[in-house]
Amino acid sequence: VTRRAQEHLHAFMRALAESGVAAGFAKHADFLRSLAQSPPDDLTGLYWRARVTLVTDPEAFPTFDAIFDAFFGTGRLVVREPGSEPASVEGETAAPHAGDEGELEPLEPRAGTGLHASPLDLRGTRRFPRASDATREQLRELEAALAEALPRVVARRLRRGRRGRRLDVGRVLRAANRSGGEIVALAWLRRPSRPRRVLLLIDVSGSQRQYTADLLRFAHAVRRADARAEAFTFGTRLTRISAVLATPDVDRALDGLSATLEDVDGGTRIGASLAALLANGRFVALARGALIIVLSDGLERGEVATMVAAVRRLGRLGNHVLWWSPLAREPRYQPVTRGMCAVLPDIDELAGAGDLESLLTLVRRLPQTTARPRGAAARMWGRDPQPIR
Amino acid sequence: VTARPQAPEPAGVSVEELGRRLAERRYFAEPGLLTAIHLALVLGRPLALEGEPGVGKTEVGKALAGVLGRELIRLQCYEGLDAGQALYEWDYPKQLLHARVAEAEGRAVGPLYSEPFLLERPLLRVLRAGAGAVLLIDEIDRADSEFEAFLLEFLSDFQITIPELGTVRAVQPPVVVLTSNRTRELHDALKRRCLYHWIPFPDAERERRILRARAPGLDEAAAAALVESINRIRGLSLVKRPGIAETIDWAQGAAILAGEGARWPEALQRSLGLLLKDQEDFERVAGRPELFPDR
Repeated sequence: VTRRAQEHLHAFMRALAESGVAAGFAKHADFLRSLAQSPPDDLTGLYWRARVTLVTDPEAFPTFDAIFDAFFGTGRLVVREPGSEPASVEGETAAPHAGDEGELEPLEPRAGTGLHASPLDLRGTRRFPRASDATREQLRELEAALAEALPRVVARRLRRGRRGRRLDVGRVLRAANRSGGEIVALAWLRRPSRPRRVLLLIDVSGSQRQYTADLLRFAHAVRRADARAEAFTFGTRLTRISAVLATPDVDRALDGLSATLEDVDGGTRIGASLAALLANGRFVALARGALIIVLSDGLERGEVATMVAAVRRLGRLGNHVLWWSPLAREPRYQPVTRGMCAVLPDIDELAGAGDLESLLTLVRRLPQTTARPRGAAARMWGRDPQPIR
Repeated sequence: VTARPQAPEPAGVSVEELGRRLAERRYFAEPGLLTAIHLALVLGRPLALEGEPGVGKTEVGKALAGVLGRELIRLQCYEGLDAGQALYEWDYPKQLLHARVAEAEGRAVGPLYSEPFLLERPLLRVLRAGAGAVLLIDEIDRADSEFEAFLLEFLSDFQITIPELGTVRAVQPPVVVLTSNRTRELHDALKRRCLYHWIPFPDAERERRILRARAPGLDEAAAAALVESINRIRGLSLVKRPGIAETIDWAQGAAILAGEGARWPEALQRSLGLLLKDQEDFERVAGRPELFPDR
């Protein structure tokens, strides 16, 4: 390989890395080794060698194709064949990468943005009312129901148990020592279960105003039922509230939240907020294998593509994605807004919940909900309400 | 530091040769997949395959084992799969019995943690397969994501440490094929160690070849009509788009009905249950004769 060609290849890989497609030294090394050990005969060969070694995500194929074209000419024309693209669901565009979302910047107000100089406080803070005795009673009921209903998974470490699948040989032999070498009883190891992680994504924007307090109280109850549960709120920005929710008393937790949250009762940017969640590797780890519950009316302003892409990714990361919307409590409700229509195939339930009572009903139904096969929401609501475009 | 195991197969098998040999085993791969398999052999890297259900991901492992003349060892993943079920377990009941019998007969018990009491599970079996093996880790998206982390070590070094016996290293590094239906996302760390390929639905020409090979008794015109029909059906927005596996079943079913004297479009419609496994999909397709062209 000539020096010029080498430089060209490296520039190609740099361009890919910059557009977020292929990263990592190991992948680059694989690509170069594949060229050295199995030199391609033509452009098609080069294309496949590059794609197989460098790209690990079918959604990145279009970006990759464009960059490959730019660097190696009309390679794609040689290669492209009908059906060689990953099948995308009819009528939907390929999901953009969360990391490229240019709109994310204004989500973090900094000193000097002019926001603080405004005579009106644009940041919405709100004090929540005390929980009445009746509310507290409902919360207790909710906690008990949650402890019953939250799905459980088998833990990976073995614990000793009265019975189990595996013999605890060490314990059997130690017990046998005490009884003069005679085995009197067998000891077993079992795999205990632990609650599946719950990830709550709570919409605190203006359109949810009347439900915000109850939704946050619900989050507090979930956190009490399962200490590993995680909760985020979003309006115009994403806020992780799990730590604040750990406060034992519900009123003090909500006081803490009103001090933390800066976007209560403001606008909605569901897509950008969820994309911010997915752009953070630590947060993605929280979503992996979790029961994800989105508490939102799904009224996204503007372009819905970001939201749809984010929900689709959440669907792949999580074990189940449930969407509980206050609007869906209405018997005549139909998911006809463009946003809800488009996310319907990627969620597992779309149900109505706003106040504590409706939340309790849905929580009691959780075991049945999570036992259904994935993608049940689309079947339940009819798959084909055509989006209004 | 262990060196990465060297390529299991001489780089001699070119992409074209590989395609020919796979076709002999009735597997018709597209150029992208062929290159991916070729590179997996040359570079000695695991191959991660994703695609819609029924496009032939699992078949790759089977066909490849046939082509290379190696044993196929399959690890079917499921939720709750743990290291014991993937690697090895000690046969405790057998150990206890052995100890008791030895005691009763007044013999020395001898080593209990030794070969006769070891239960080999797929991953250990792969390492011990003398002439190398093809390891098919099927539907890894069904296993918990913790299991992927466990696989990382195995896939990079091809060795397993058994505390009582020592380290078992692969005699000859296996060819590894991982498949996933993408019901959940795989960890980046795992994908980074693998070559990656997305298997698309086949184009009409390739699907005709597959049908001709897998559904004997289907003539050229019938195969063409069937492929035409399947492509129209895949174009609808269905709950589950039919893969190649279902298409083959459908072709065989329709061929049987046609052999019994049914007219062709009617034979297709009557055997539709082999293609669509969802009531709603069935209703959407069944009432539309324009989806079933005559041969």
